[in-house]
Amino acid sequence: MKHLPKHLRARWRYLAVGIETWPDADVDRAAFQREVWYAAQDLYGDVGSAEADLTVVEFDLTEGDGEAIVRAHRGAEERARAAVACLAAVDGHSVGVRVRGISGTMRACSERYLNGGTRGGKQRDVVFENEPSPAVVRGTRFDVDAGDGFVGATRLDFE
Amino acid sequence: MYEAVYAHPDGDSTAARFAVTADRDGYDGVIVRAVDAHPDHDRLRESLPTDLVDAAEVVAPDPQHASGAVGNARTERTVVCVRGGTDALNRFAVEQPRVDVLSKPFVGDGRGDHRRGGGSGDVDHVLAKAARDNGVHIEVNLGPALRGRGGSRVRHLKRLRRLHRIVDHYDTPYVVSATAESHLQLRAPRELAAVGEEIGLGEEWTRRGLDAWGDLVERNRTRLSESFIAPGVERGRYEEDDRGAR
Repeated sequence: MKHLPKHLRARWRYLAVGIETWPDADVDRAAFQREVWYAAQDLYGDVGSAEADLTVVEFDLTEGDGEAIVRAHRGAEERARAAVACLAAVDGHSVGVRVRGISGTMRACSERYLNGGTRGGKQRDVVFENEPSPAVVRGTRFDVDAGDGFVGATRLDFE
Repeated sequence: MYEAVYAHPDGDSTAARFAVTADRDGYDGVIVRAVDAHPDHDRLRESLPTDLVDAAEVVAPDPQHASGAVGNARTERTVVCVRGGTDALNRFAVEQPRVDVLSKPFVGDGRGDHRRGGGSGDVDHVLAKAARDNGVHIEVNLGPALRGRGGSRVRHLKRLRRLHRIVDHYDTPYVVSATAESHLQLRAPRELAAVGEEIGLGEEWTRRGLDAWGDLVERNRTRLSESFIAPGVERGRYEEDDRGAR
């Protein structure tokens, strides 16, 4: 099919989304995309979803730390932001999301808001509430495996 | 802007982790509404990028049990919340000037019999007026709107819209919160405002609800400070001058 003339092409906005999960979460692009669609559909229905047309164009997640670019129609940025905020879990894994910023091109979006790849954390043994437990450490953030699920902590909690 | 959270062991993240995440989201601080949690506020506050406020959330099965707990919490904490959920508890909370916030006024599934005080609670014009007269903030709980699904979410949204209408009409003080139980459930102010707009509460209205936490903290800290004697009466810088004149 021929390209549309420029003035008839869709205008996009790109949302840079920071993602955080527990270190054991196994989430891929397809699952994240599905959940974004569901969130949009649950929040504003089929018509609104078609209007915003949310697509995950980039996705990267390693051991609980990641980022994505979500594309939305221009003018539907705030609706897209609301749908992204309503992402609570993907495949049963809790996810924390925050919109870092919005750009008009993918290149500007990734240059300005993405860190260029994610790094896994370091395994360490810590003593949390008098119990020795393994933890995944990333900077000052500690995700402690307390046996019955993870607990989010920081370095301050171990001083 | 402040956000009120449930820190470990009430939730899955420690107060410090909440504070670090909230800082990245653009909040000025977090209010640790402790049911069982007891973080070392003074030590943490010194090393954290954001403010940390000690608060208590009183969770009791009925007003009789709640009453004593509110009295204890009032003398120890900066902010005192009472978790509602039944009509009796909601009514108790809004009639107590000692209480700052009625939280989660309708946590139940909405299938109980309201008239017998069972099932889930609700907020009507009588409670809204009482809350206004006693300065009790009613919490607009966005948690189920963010994390819920299906029928229970629809029922919750319906109640939020009704609460919005009532609170607006009677000028009742209110606060907005995502009631996060882990740092993953925390959402930035702009995100909450966008959700508020989408579900019919309005962007500005939602933002004001987030600001209200900060005003509440500021007011209570002034009251707890040593220079405060009674509303309108403060120990100020003129005291020494007065003495000198006599």
